[in-house]
Amino acid sequence: MLVKSKYIGICLIVTLMILGIVILISASEKVTIKVWYPDEFGVKPKYVDQAAEAFRKDFPNVNLEIARFKLPPGDFKTKLLLALASGEGPDVIHYSGESNIAEFADAGYIVPLDEYVNAWPDYTQYPNAVKDGVTYDGHVYAIPYGLDMRWLYYNKNIFKAVGLPVPWQPKSWNDIINAAIVIKERAPDKIPYILYAGVAGSGGTLSHGFLPLFYGAGGQLYNYNTGKWIVNSSAYRKTLEHYRQAYLDYKLVPQEVMTLPKPWTTMRQKMFTGELGILCEGGWVYGGAIYTLGLEETEKMAGYTIMPSEDGKFFFTIGGSGTVWYVCSQSKHPELAWEYIKRFNSKEIVAKICLETPHPVARIDSANLPEYKAQKYLVDCTKALEYAKFLPLQSELNQVAYRIQLLTSRVASGETSIEEAMGKYVNEMKLDLGEDKVEITE
Amino acid sequence: MQNKVRLMVIYFIFIIILIYFSLPSLWLFLSVFNVHASPFIEVPRKPTLINFIKIFKDYNFSTYLFNSIFVSSITMILVTLVASLAGYSLSRWDSKYKNTLIYSILLLYAIPISATMIPIYSLMRVLHLRNNYLGLILIYTAGQLPFLIWIIQQFFDTIPSDIEEAAWIDGGSYLRTLFSIVMPIAKPGVAVIAVLSFRAAWSESVLVIVLIDSQNLQTIPRAFFEAVKTMGGSAIEYQYEIVATMGLFFLIPLMIIFLIMNKYFVRGGMLGGAIK
Amino acid sequence: MKRSHCFFWGILPAAVLIALFFITPAIWGVYTSLTNMALVGKAAKHLQFIGFQNYVRLFRDSAFFTSIINSMWYVVGGAIIGQFLLGLGLALFLEYTESNKIKGGNIVYGFVMLAWITPALVSGFEWGAMYDFYYGTLNNILKLFSLSKINWLGEVPMLSVIIANIWQGTAFTMLVLNSALKTIPFELYESAKIDGSSRWQSIRYITLPLIKNIAIVDLISITIATFGAFLMIMAITSGGPGMKTTTLSLYAYRSAFENYRIGYGCSISMILMIINLVFGLTYLKFLKKLS
Repeated sequence: MLVKSKYIGICLIVTLMILGIVILISASEKVTIKVWYPDEFGVKPKYVDQAAEAFRKDFPNVNLEIARFKLPPGDFKTKLLLALASGEGPDVIHYSGESNIAEFADAGYIVPLDEYVNAWPDYTQYPNAVKDGVTYDGHVYAIPYGLDMRWLYYNKNIFKAVGLPVPWQPKSWNDIINAAIVIKERAPDKIPYILYAGVAGSGGTLSHGFLPLFYGAGGQLYNYNTGKWIVNSSAYRKTLEHYRQAYLDYKLVPQEVMTLPKPWTTMRQKMFTGELGILCEGGWVYGGAIYTLGLEETEKMAGYTIMPSEDGKFFFTIGGSGTVWYVCSQSKHPELAWEYIKRFNSKEIVAKICLETPHPVARIDSANLPEYKAQKYLVDCTKALEYAKFLPLQSELNQVAYRIQLLTSRVASGETSIEEAMGKYVNEMKLDLGEDKVEITE
Repeated sequence: MQNKVRLMVIYFIFIIILIYFSLPSLWLFLSVFNVHASPFIEVPRKPTLINFIKIFKDYNFSTYLFNSIFVSSITMILVTLVASLAGYSLSRWDSKYKNTLIYSILLLYAIPISATMIPIYSLMRVLHLRNNYLGLILIYTAGQLPFLIWIIQQFFDTIPSDIEEAAWIDGGSYLRTLFSIVMPIAKPGVAVIAVLSFRAAWSESVLVIVLIDSQNLQTIPRAFFEAVKTMGGSAIEYQYEIVATMGLFFLIPLMIIFLIMNKYFVRGGMLGGAIK
Repeated sequence: MKRSHCFFWGILPAAVLIALFFITPAIWGVYTSLTNMALVGKAAKHLQFIGFQNYVRLFRDSAFFTSIINSMWYVVGGAIIGQFLLGLGLALFLEYTESNKIKGGNIVYGFVMLAWITPALVSGFEWGAMYDFYYGTLNNILKLFSLSKINWLGEVPMLSVIIANIWQGTAFTMLVLNSALKTIPFELYESAKIDGSSRWQSIRYITLPLIKNIAIVDLISITIATFGAFLMIMAITSGGPGMKTTTLSLYAYRSAFENYRIGYGCSISMILMIINLVFGLTYLKFLKKLS
């Protein structure tokens, strides 16, 4: 019967194909080191390949496979995790650090690099603050090269026009609010202040909105002594007070910030076109301004300063480990994986790549290279890192970040009062993390 | 006189509907001619055709296009064959299990893809069907079948089986009856499922991440990410003119398929009289 | 009998494909919803069977209930009322214009289709360009008429995504019902006219009953599809502001692919599946009643 034979035919073909593929796969058995990283219209490939060349020269018998995935970071992470979960991960992972370090380490996907870095003379060039940023549970798990930090940006042209001091160094939260009020009164067509809140701000809500204030109120998210997350404290309430003042009391921040699908795009655009007074954002925005407006224009317009604490007793910035290098635990030759990582993180490559994508460098000797030193902005960034506070490196950070996004949006939109919002937040954290992982302090 | 008023009303309705459905697409059609498009509708100051060349030269679009055409066409053919067979059989089967089977097919369709994505990854890995088109096409087919079988079965149900009965009695074989007699009448239905199948495979973007790793096997929905430029942090920004141009080339083949299939959407009514 | 053998073989290829590549993953998904599976974090190392704990946690999660309500609004407003009625209306309307030789129907048909075949990423941009508060097309049009700007995505986010959803989805219903209309023999209308029925009566007593099967199939499919849709919402509002446009499917996707808590995400998907089934079975009962 025709149907029956067609069906048998299909089955046979499928089986043969499967057999063929299986044979092919088991045939290749050379020592292979696989490097995976996501990148699109970026600068990284040039340097990744440069390091690959150096590696291949020293290890001619090793098959180095560089896989550059043209995917947005989220999709890359999904793909990476799926591969790791089935034991098919690469040897070297080049991906963002921060919360991933803890998550990957807890899942057993990455190896501690202590023995490698201790035998690496270059490691002394990394300042302790930077080393701390990639240390989890007492072990170094990743090598950073271009760090993140945040500035409180202000538009020098607007400030001069409304009579605010340039250069500007706010000495308290009130200074920020007052400056914004002045802008609102004297330059009503400009947006006085942007402070990210809500889910739309994504990572920005925590790093550019909440934490620059929260840490400035003496707040701590995670208690390293007890191993618990602090879910209510006076720092929370003070931070939310500032949000309420900025969004509701004085209406210095437009409500739309919480609903723009990609607020950072629009807000950077507004900063570049000179419609924005004060904005807290990442250091890379300056690089974006140079790209769009040119160096001269940017230097004229964009002022930047570090965050004051609530009362001006100290100043700080929020640091981040940026994109880092990991050695995967599923690698059959971790030492070779490390050899590759070393070659990428040489003094020259680190300096060059951080020049092209303006970032402060992780190793001091890179900062001393003349081309790097010539960039005033980058020097400022590197200096600011001395005062950097980092996000807690714990695997639950993403969940906490999400709840903080909801927390800020509830207050900033006026949906609830500060007390109610804190109440919901505490409940949600208990639900997400478990009752025994949270605590309340004063 | 009354006719004229009626005509005006009809054209008024046409225009309202046209505005609703075409206004958003205006962004696409304007941006493709812009050297640096923005995420907002703006008339390009210096219209250019350069984007059309760019996507093939700099963004590797020809690979994506070819891959998509290949995968979608094969899926469409496979699905149409298998679904028509199954739908026809279900429609004509006289069995007490018939309704249960039909309802179960509906049940299957209710399963959301977020639940099946990771099991599919593991399954295809075990079968060594990851990172190749055989696996991708099989998954696409299996995913589309429940729903499309349901549809074509309903179409077959509306065709009285008298003609087939006649053919059977005359000694015709099952397959011959199906293909030479029933299918022509069910052309609209078959065209519908072919078009739906092609479109679904063409637009599918999630399973491709899960199943395909090699850069040169990617399909068009993944091509858009070639146009990304990140400026740091978690921010993703696009080169909008490239996205728009790729979007245009995404749409054109679909439109072509629709136009081809359109001629099968013929009134079956003329054949209806043949039964009497 | 020979014939039933044929039917059996006819169904077999489909059955094998579905069993292997659809049902197997689905059962796995059900099982996963009973575990604490995660792709990162401590749970990634120790996969544990935890029974119904995920579901218990779901019922204490206020975000879960918010997402269900959002889904209901989205599906009822977008699919059941929006896509279906508009699609049906368009199908009938285009039939009418075609049979009365009024030109222009094809252009409308074409643009409705265009909306449907636009990929999610691009539609996200298109509607972003429409709804943006500062530079969006809709607000620009309002400005032209000296009206004040509306914060579409801020004040009426659900309405905004519903409008976008109707825009994208209507073509399917129009396509399906149009095809169904074409299978109605012309003679039936002829004889009705001869008997003196008006146009509306023909529609009510001939057209609608004859297409009711396909119409119900269509309703089921757009309901399920709209419950499962999240790419477009994500592209336009990212589920915001807050949770205002986060539907159940988006919430499931987030849990599974942004937070990588697969077990939890699967349990949300299971609830989604149950809701889909309830709607589907209700429609079928309705169909039976009409028959």
